[in-house]
Amino acid sequence: MKVDARAFALPLALIVMAEIGARAHGPSDSLAPPSAIAAAFLEALSDGSLLIATRDTLASAFAGLLVGGAIGLSLGVALGAVPALNRALEAAIELTRPIPSVALVPIALVALGFGYRLEIAIVAYACVWPLLLLTRAAVAGVEPRLIEVARALRLNPLARVVKIVVPAALPRIFVAFRLAAGVALIVAVTVEIAVNPIGLGAGIMTAGQALRPELMLAYLVWIGLVGFALNALLVLAQQRLFGRAAQVAEAP
Amino acid sequence: MSSLPNLYAAAAALLLFAPMGAAAQTKIAIGCTATSDCASAMVAADSGLFAKHGLDAKMVLIGINSNIPAAIVSDSIQIGGPTATVFLQAVDGGLDLVAIAGASVMDPIANNAVAAYARNGASLHEAKDFVGKKVGAPGIGAFLQVLFVKWLMEKGVDPKSVNFVEVTFPTQGDSLKSGAVDAVLTAEPFVTRFNAAGIGYVAAHYAAELGRTEPIISYVASRSFAEKNPEAVAAFRAAIAEGAEIVNNDRQKASESISKFTKQPLDIVKMNRPSVSAPDLKPEGFVWWLDVMKQQNMLQGTVDPTKIVLK
Repeated sequence: MKVDARAFALPLALIVMAEIGARAHGPSDSLAPPSAIAAAFLEALSDGSLLIATRDTLASAFAGLLVGGAIGLSLGVALGAVPALNRALEAAIELTRPIPSVALVPIALVALGFGYRLEIAIVAYACVWPLLLLTRAAVAGVEPRLIEVARALRLNPLARVVKIVVPAALPRIFVAFRLAAGVALIVAVTVEIAVNPIGLGAGIMTAGQALRPELMLAYLVWIGLVGFALNALLVLAQQRLFGRAAQVAEAP
Repeated sequence: MSSLPNLYAAAAALLLFAPMGAAAQTKIAIGCTATSDCASAMVAADSGLFAKHGLDAKMVLIGINSNIPAAIVSDSIQIGGPTATVFLQAVDGGLDLVAIAGASVMDPIANNAVAAYARNGASLHEAKDFVGKKVGAPGIGAFLQVLFVKWLMEKGVDPKSVNFVEVTFPTQGDSLKSGAVDAVLTAEPFVTRFNAAGIGYVAAHYAAELGRTEPIISYVASRSFAEKNPEAVAAFRAAIAEGAEIVNNDRQKASESISKFTKQPLDIVKMNRPSVSAPDLKPEGFVWWLDVMKQQNMLQGTVDPTKIVLK
């Protein structure tokens, strides 16, 4: 992904304004100048706490993404390929989907306790939906002539899905995966802020309660950078894997 | 907070059917929030008092106090330090929890550290001045707000006439400064910090005016854990009693342990005396809390204080 150097002008201007503003604002328990945030960031990086927290958050986010993604993908393919099944499950899906993943946190805490399992379960729930909906739409929208080819070749239903439907829908499915990856990171951090005493979200909470706003904001900035890097990585993978088809998939 | 009773009912059902695999262990996790109320456990962990009494104990920093009952039920922690209000609401909701030792109690110094702090120009000096004002509390239905509502009621002010919003401790100063709230319910070290920054004034030392001596935080476990691990409970109580001695008599040592656990800078922790540690816990300590919570419609049923404190 090529980034125009001019794109950094606005963030840089905002950083300078934040430095001036924070210093003019005086002592605060929730705000800090960017220079103090940078110092806290280096401190957390050198003592290893930031890296351990990043590992915990990413491990939970990826595991949840894999579990939820696999469920969403399987269901999406099945529902997209079999309209009768789609009609049968439509109401159940539309009733379940609006439940916010974070609303499940208190119940999940009681059932699963602190730790990776809790976070993975919530992230997985959140990741099912983008994969399911976009995969279903992608599969249902596969070029009818390709389906006719599959029929002409007398492929059985499984071979039709594996050899024709999924490859044709793959670029759009990957877009859904990218979307779910962003959701996974957001939900993982939210669960950590709300209950789970591990990862970057817990780091934000602990730093806030320790009256260290500069460290709290350092964690916040780092989460933004991790999210940016994750998306850049996925965009790169998308372009490498699908070439021009990736651009087609993203077109409205 | 309205979903808590339902959650507790679900948790109670889960507790009933959950396997009791951890019952025979002396390895325990103790969950507390970042306050000096659990200082006796922090000192006991930091000074090796738990190990001395044969307990393999680790402390877990919990972000939000109301998560502690659920964490106990899920066996993520075996002992936790909920506030009296959180504990009693959890029991009222159906969780079979029992207090096994006292952590902290209200006393004149701790009560005086609590304040309704007003922003400059808010003109709040007595209870009736709060009518129609926006007041930030660190938690709705939590310790500081329940005490404040009790104070308003004693002064003849309808608490419904006050607009409460949640404002966490670290954001209170900026909320006052920006005028987002007229006052916040807070405690030391924030009062000193706000005074130093010149952002307002103490409108009322409402906890001091109430002048109570009941428990603030107690050490709580599931009844099944407490009954199946009497040796662990006895060892925990012995370690806490020794830790409490240190908290109440050696402020330097207590401050170091608190700073280590909460990650708060030592110089900030040292600014204030830790809450008084009171390891002995009697059911009578909860009677006043139950009355206050009943008055404020925080309880659905009846809680028998004699059944929630382990003998």
